[in-house]
Amino acid sequence: MPNVLEIENLNKDYGDFKLKDVSFALPQGYIMGLIGPNGAGKTTIIKLILNLLRRDGGDIKVFGVDNVNDEVTIKSRIGFVHDTPFFYESLTLNSLRATVAPFYKDWDDGLFYRLLREFDLPARKLFRKLSRGMKMKFALAVALSHHADFIILDEPTSGLDPVFRRELLARLSALIQDEKKSVLFSTHITSDLERIADYITFIHNGRIVFSAAKDEVLEKWAVVKAGNNFLNDDNRKFFKGIRKREFGFEALTSDATEARRRFAGKAVIEKASLEDIMYYMTRGGNHA
Amino acid sequence: MRNLILKDLILNKKFLSYVGLFYILYVGVFGSRIDNPKVDIIFITFLSFILPVMIYTREDKFKATVVSCSLPATRRQIILARYILGWLLMLIIYVLDMMAILVAPGHKLGAADLFNARTIFLALALMTLYFSILMPFLIRFGMVGFFVFLISLQVLGVITLTLASKKMLNLDIKAWVAAINNAFMSLNARLGTPGYYAFLLAMMLLLSLGSFVCSVFIFKRKDL
Repeated sequence: MPNVLEIENLNKDYGDFKLKDVSFALPQGYIMGLIGPNGAGKTTIIKLILNLLRRDGGDIKVFGVDNVNDEVTIKSRIGFVHDTPFFYESLTLNSLRATVAPFYKDWDDGLFYRLLREFDLPARKLFRKLSRGMKMKFALAVALSHHADFIILDEPTSGLDPVFRRELLARLSALIQDEKKSVLFSTHITSDLERIADYITFIHNGRIVFSAAKDEVLEKWAVVKAGNNFLNDDNRKFFKGIRKREFGFEALTSDATEARRRFAGKAVIEKASLEDIMYYMTRGGNHA
Repeated sequence: MRNLILKDLILNKKFLSYVGLFYILYVGVFGSRIDNPKVDIIFITFLSFILPVMIYTREDKFKATVVSCSLPATRRQIILARYILGWLLMLIIYVLDMMAILVAPGHKLGAADLFNARTIFLALALMTLYFSILMPFLIRFGMVGFFVFLISLQVLGVITLTLASKKMLNLDIKAWVAAINNAFMSLNARLGTPGYYAFLLAMMLLLSLGSFVCSVFIFKRKDL
């Protein structure tokens, strides 16, 4: 299966924040979740893919071609939702459609209006009169209405009610069933990704911590709960993050097999959720 | 290209219909009180330039540049569309304003005063100057930066004139204006009228091209 997205050694320097040697790939026909705490660099990566930011180094290939040199071809096959859906506030949804639709040769008016109905969005309503959640739904309707091969969503579920969030996730899952469409989905609501993602890329402080298949991540990473007497120097080095309590500690490891061998019968070893991984990697320093 | 121009027209259709109409009537009535064609042209070309600027500052206002640049279009195409639409609007507004002056009751100038080769070239030259110099500035610094720049120019002008009038600054503005005027007159005398117009036209095209290249350069480097 070819890669729909390939990023290699991507660098971006803002002065006070740096994206450093970011590399990962998304195979065609899959959903990748881009996770990380606020300010980790998720939006920067998405903006670099869409050529909204200038990269300082590295390569970005979408559909196998450079994202800057073949910008128009690539963007005509991408559906995007930005973290803040900025459209022209003074226009109705109908008028906004008229400004966007002509850019896409595969624009499907039938699908667009069907999505508006499904999302309960009145076509004649002014964009500025929509709530944040409704604005996000409209951005989604636009992103899905031109049969894009690659959907890029930056925090699409923030501001959405749980019912619609579930519906959106189901829609994204259904979208990739033809194995041709792919989705890159940035979020810090990790439970959304546990439902639908095939791959997870975790970014922290501008660096990739890991990028792997979700099942592999959930298989390899574990949370160990044991008494403080087990927290010697060797074990400290073994853990990626530790949370110390009065009567014991909880720690994250990326080697569940070794943890089972090391702490057999002496500790509780549980599968780590994506939220656990994010928490320990960002808050639970090795020497907590 | 067509889609980008169409997008901007749809986005601004209400603004253009209401503000544009008021603008033309207001400028027409105001301009009809003036009895010097040069003053009318200087005044109206600047006001014709302001309307396209107001359209592009609206994109800033709604922070919609990110969406525009996420659509399948290059930044060069986006700037080219802005230049084409900007020039179209300037020319349309200028012509409509001039016509409004001519139909306004009590107008002091006739069609022959406002529409002859000399006034048309003067108008085109002024529009080229305003548009070519200020558009890269607008693209780089946005709405707020643009207006800060214009206000700063005015403040600088007032300070310069005040200092010059109090003899604190050795600046003879009349001599400067006369020097520029003489330069154009001597150019006209050497080249002959058709050659002079061709030279002016070439300069306008060169300035517009330079401005466009500069704007594309700036916009391509802009992080959104």
